[in-house]
Amino acid sequence: MRLAVASGKGGTGKTLVATNLAVVARRAGQRVTLVDCDVEAPNDHLFFDAEFCSEAVEVAVPAEPPAGVCPPGCALCRDACRFGAIRMLGGGPVVFPDLCHACGVCIDVCPARVLEERQVRVGQVRVGTTRDGVRLVMGQLDVGQTKAPTVIWAARARAGAENADVTILDAPPGVACSAVATLHGVDLPVLVTDPTAFGIHDLRLMVQLSRDLGVTPVVVLNREGTGAVDVAGYCRSESIPLVGRLPFDRRVAECYADGGLLVDEHPAGRRWFEDLWTAVREHLATTGVAVPA
Amino acid sequence: MRTLVIASGKGGTGKTTVAAVLATGLGERGYSVTVADCDVEASNLPLVLRVDITKRTAFTGAPHALVDAEMCCGCGDCLIGCRFDALSMSADGCAVIDPWLCESCGACALACPNGAIGFEPQVAGEILEGSGPAGPIVFGRLRPGEDLSGKLVTSVRERAAEIGRDCGAALILIDGPPGVGCPAIASMTGADAVLAVTEPSRSGEHDLRRLATLAGQLNVPVTVLLNKADLSASGADRIRQTCLELQLELVGEVPFDSDLPGALEAVAQGTRPFADLDALPSVSALNGVRARVDAMTINLTGVGQGVPR
Repeated sequence: MRLAVASGKGGTGKTLVATNLAVVARRAGQRVTLVDCDVEAPNDHLFFDAEFCSEAVEVAVPAEPPAGVCPPGCALCRDACRFGAIRMLGGGPVVFPDLCHACGVCIDVCPARVLEERQVRVGQVRVGTTRDGVRLVMGQLDVGQTKAPTVIWAARARAGAENADVTILDAPPGVACSAVATLHGVDLPVLVTDPTAFGIHDLRLMVQLSRDLGVTPVVVLNREGTGAVDVAGYCRSESIPLVGRLPFDRRVAECYADGGLLVDEHPAGRRWFEDLWTAVREHLATTGVAVPA
Repeated sequence: MRTLVIASGKGGTGKTTVAAVLATGLGERGYSVTVADCDVEASNLPLVLRVDITKRTAFTGAPHALVDAEMCCGCGDCLIGCRFDALSMSADGCAVIDPWLCESCGACALACPNGAIGFEPQVAGEILEGSGPAGPIVFGRLRPGEDLSGKLVTSVRERAAEIGRDCGAALILIDGPPGVGCPAIASMTGADAVLAVTEPSRSGEHDLRRLATLAGQLNVPVTVLLNKADLSASGADRIRQTCLELQLELVGEVPFDSDLPGALEAVAQGTRPFADLDALPSVSALNGVRARVDAMTINLTGVGQGVPR
């Protein structure tokens, strides 16, 4: 079972839900992998005491050939690149790694076979185990690099090797390529929103994206009471299950701020997330996805 | 004309709120400010500023690769070249491209012996313009699932700079996206200053450090605003220590205000004027920070205080 906890708007409570849900599922006896796909600003690890092993994530970008080896006047590599990542200078190609998509097309079209690949590190995947036994797979983009989806895919691939019963992906905010890389192929997007005009505005975008990707999401309403938007009404009108409602409580914010898990440190935390875990499993059972007991 | 970016690293720290209060306040003080909302994947600033849209321009993203089924012979050569696992063969022997994985690189088209793969330009979003509280506002909306949000951010900035030059703006104020990737880099490159909005949480501190590293690489100076400061005394202390350690100026601290989201929403709905918000402790503290931001803006723009628009 693969869930992605996503939102659209930043700060709605994705990490809050992903981390606490992972712990509840683990304590219910499941093999759980929590994948931090917010590779630009990963935070899941701050809530756990885990030792990590790191593996570099690299992409193959073209290496500029030495002077004088290119056929005179040839610019096939530049012309084949659809991203403007190659300019010709002094009779040879100059590569802009930030624009390069590591697609290999320039290498394929080089008639003289002088364009070769070199590995460039763009980030890392770190793997560790929490005290409860949750496997935490964390993708982290190197600051200054642009290939967030590459690191997300690497983290997902590494998580896939864990063969967990339950995989929970903590998605980044936004609705573009990083969100797509996280949501692609999951069994269920769990969309976290708050009841404000901004929350619902961005929730609609995520619902649209989920549907375009071919999955019906469910919604968790966080910080209920901080806005006037009728999220339950919206969900009903869109035939989207509302599977959790977390009330606004300053203690939640304080606990989160200090890196604490609600299931351990808030009086109602365990009940909230056990109820959410039950609701998610019940929903998945109705969609025909294999659900662990 | 200078550029100030409101950034954070972590989402939800209050960038849009700070941008709205600053833009409105700077406008009231007589600065000509062109605002750019560069959080193109989840553009919220125009909601709270109640922008009247006067112009929309289509944003063309990456062209989508498409297979002409009649020309496809089912040889599968296209699958071999694709590094993104975007190609597969259908049950009836036709190549199929997964648009969500396709990077539009053209490797498949090059490999195809029949020329069966072509590209179609796609409208990936739009750039919108309207009037805001201190002058014009430009923002972008990316269609969900589209690539190239960084490119849209750059387009929004270019249009804002164009408009700003035309109307003699002293300042381009950018409401930045969260994160430190493509969209954030595009919003900060070449800017004159970053105001980093953070919160007293471990997540806030962690992501502030990453943002500061990025700004350092881009050579843009950072000042810090600590929002929701009283949520955690130890957290606030950690932020202050981080600022000292990284030699970042902490320009002000704003208290956590549970009334603020509802108040902003009322403004967005039009049931409450923005000026009303001054009574809220958070906004009043932000107004207090404005003197420091004004000083920064004066330094940025080289203009004297209170220069009329």
